Amino acid sequence: MANDNDTITQGLFEPVGADTQVSEHISGKVVSAWRDAFRRFVTNKGAVISMIILALIIILALLGPHINKYGTNDQNLLWSDLPPKISALSWMPMFSGKENGVDVYKDRGVKQEFWFGTDQLGRDLWNRTWAGTQISLLIALIAALVDFLIGVAYGGISGYFGGTVDNILQRIIEVISGIPNLVWIILLILIMQPGLLAITIAILATNWIAMARIVRGEMLKLKNQEFVLASRTLGAGDGRIIFRHLIPNSLGMIIVNTMFSIPAAIFFEAFLSFIGLGIRDPQASLGSLINTGFTILQIHPSQTIFPGIVISLLLICFNIVGNGLRDAFDPKLRR
Amino acid sequence: MGRYILKRIWYMIITFYVVITLTFLSMKLLPGTPFQNANRLTPLQLNTLKHYYGLDQPIAVQYVKYLWNFIHGDLGTSFQFGNTPVIQMLVAQFPVSMDLGTEAMIIGTVLGILLGIFAGLYRGSFRDWGTMIFATLGISIPSFVFAGALQYCLGVLVQLFPVAGWGTPSTHVLPVTSLAVGILAEVAIFMRTEMVEVINQDYIVTAQAKGLSRGAVVFKHAVRNAMIPVVTILGPMTAAIITGSIVIEGIFGIPGIGKQFVSSITTNDYPMIMGTTELYSGLFIITILIVDILYGVIDPRIRVSGGRS
Repeated sequence: MANDNDTITQGLFEPVGADTQVSEHISGKVVSAWRDAFRRFVTNKGAVISMIILALIIILALLGPHINKYGTNDQNLLWSDLPPKISALSWMPMFSGKENGVDVYKDRGVKQEFWFGTDQLGRDLWNRTWAGTQISLLIALIAALVDFLIGVAYGGISGYFGGTVDNILQRIIEVISGIPNLVWIILLILIMQPGLLAITIAILATNWIAMARIVRGEMLKLKNQEFVLASRTLGAGDGRIIFRHLIPNSLGMIIVNTMFSIPAAIFFEAFLSFIGLGIRDPQASLGSLINTGFTILQIHPSQTIFPGIVISLLLICFNIVGNGLRDAFDPKLRR
Repeated sequence: MGRYILKRIWYMIITFYVVITLTFLSMKLLPGTPFQNANRLTPLQLNTLKHYYGLDQPIAVQYVKYLWNFIHGDLGTSFQFGNTPVIQMLVAQFPVSMDLGTEAMIIGTVLGILLGIFAGLYRGSFRDWGTMIFATLGISIPSFVFAGALQYCLGVLVQLFPVAGWGTPSTHVLPVTSLAVGILAEVAIFMRTEMVEVINQDYIVTAQAKGLSRGAVVFKHAVRNAMIPVVTILGPMTAAIITGSIVIEGIFGIPGIGKQFVSSITTNDYPMIMGTTELYSGLFIITILIVDILYGVIDPRIRVSGGRS
């Protein structure tokens, strides 16, 4: 036994030496925060389905009014209050062109087909529904832009500079947010004509506040971290630190919050149009279409159903996508 | 604590002052004249009228007068209802809206909290999943679409409840349900998140370890602590109730402030619009104040930092 040990002498070993090249080598593929978030988002079935539905709605809203031969505002009293009819789908009671068992199209000798039916003035509701959806999507876009441009800048400045600047900016926010949105819009509408412009200004005035608060919180959290100090030591100015370091680091939070403010803005516009403070005839909005439909809900329910379904789908999908994004960007929040 | 409350009240007064000033300014900026057939009046008549209503005085004087009247509860007279004082109409209609709002708020909050506890306890299971789908729908579907669907299905097709009106308990069912669903959904999601957070805390493990029954752990330790932050959504909830009640009172023909508000908009009844606007902001501002103070009382950590942000 002892003999065996003797044959293996110290001299038989030689140090391999640590190869820094090998030990520091990253064997897996580098996954950036964005790819990681994307991967998590894709596994969320509900969010992906909502994304697809949203894409479909956007395509329909853009193309819808152009794929049939009626104009959005063409009136024809001979065609008033027709139920929906699609020949290819006529086996479905919804699209048979019948109302209470009577084939209205045959009765009134209408040869044309109206996919979503017509309103009291004989305007094609397919066109008007998608024209209204366009307005909702436009509002969504405006709300997102306002969030990004005003909210992020305001919150960024307030949080980054702190002190007196922060104090003044926060007091202003406190007063603005103490007044309900509804009051802002009413004051605006009294001065201006109700319409898209007034709604846009109301969104401009109030929609960025939640975002400003969140970005400020993020700034306060991030600005004292080491990487900011490192950047400053290397000579970076305030602008560079804010736009190259702090904002990219809170971008996940910003995107998530934008996604939640979009459905709120869409609802706000539809609500205003519904009570007659928003988009007015002859322009179509989902809210005003539903409002008009309500007056004859008991006789022709079909006129309310389609705009109602579209706006509900829009809001549901935006909310689910928002939830999906939140879970994807910050898995800690997923519960 | 006293200083904190004083500070909050001070902010409240500033905010409300801004609201009143804004309403005054927007009234001054209104297009057109306040007099009917103004172009048929002679300059002399017009001047007499203007003098009578104090409109010939400088804006600053008018402003002070407006504030003075406001403090004394004079909000002007309604255009559409033969010069009835606005304040009188608001006082008459407020109880109806208040009934609707509080009923919806109580039902929505209580059911929402229960649903949130339920979902939080069975996190990740089918029950949780179902509850959350229901809550997402409740948050997303606009109140006016939901109210319309409810009215059509249960009022017109099945005729279970009256389609419109306000009075007997059965007339309350549909409007209160429509208004409560959004609140219920919001509270449920919020409560669930809080429950999940609280359940993972160490003191819950301690409670379980010392042999408490499941019921005692859930209700004495988890639910109690999870409920504290729910207070904070009371503010946004009030705003939601106000927006919701405007639509729902219109749909169900309830003679409250919301319905009145819409009709004053369509008839350009400016004093009425202004009065309602001020009432709404007042309600909102006071709710926020109450929430802030309440939160400070319930959770002592808030007071020290002097507010949450």
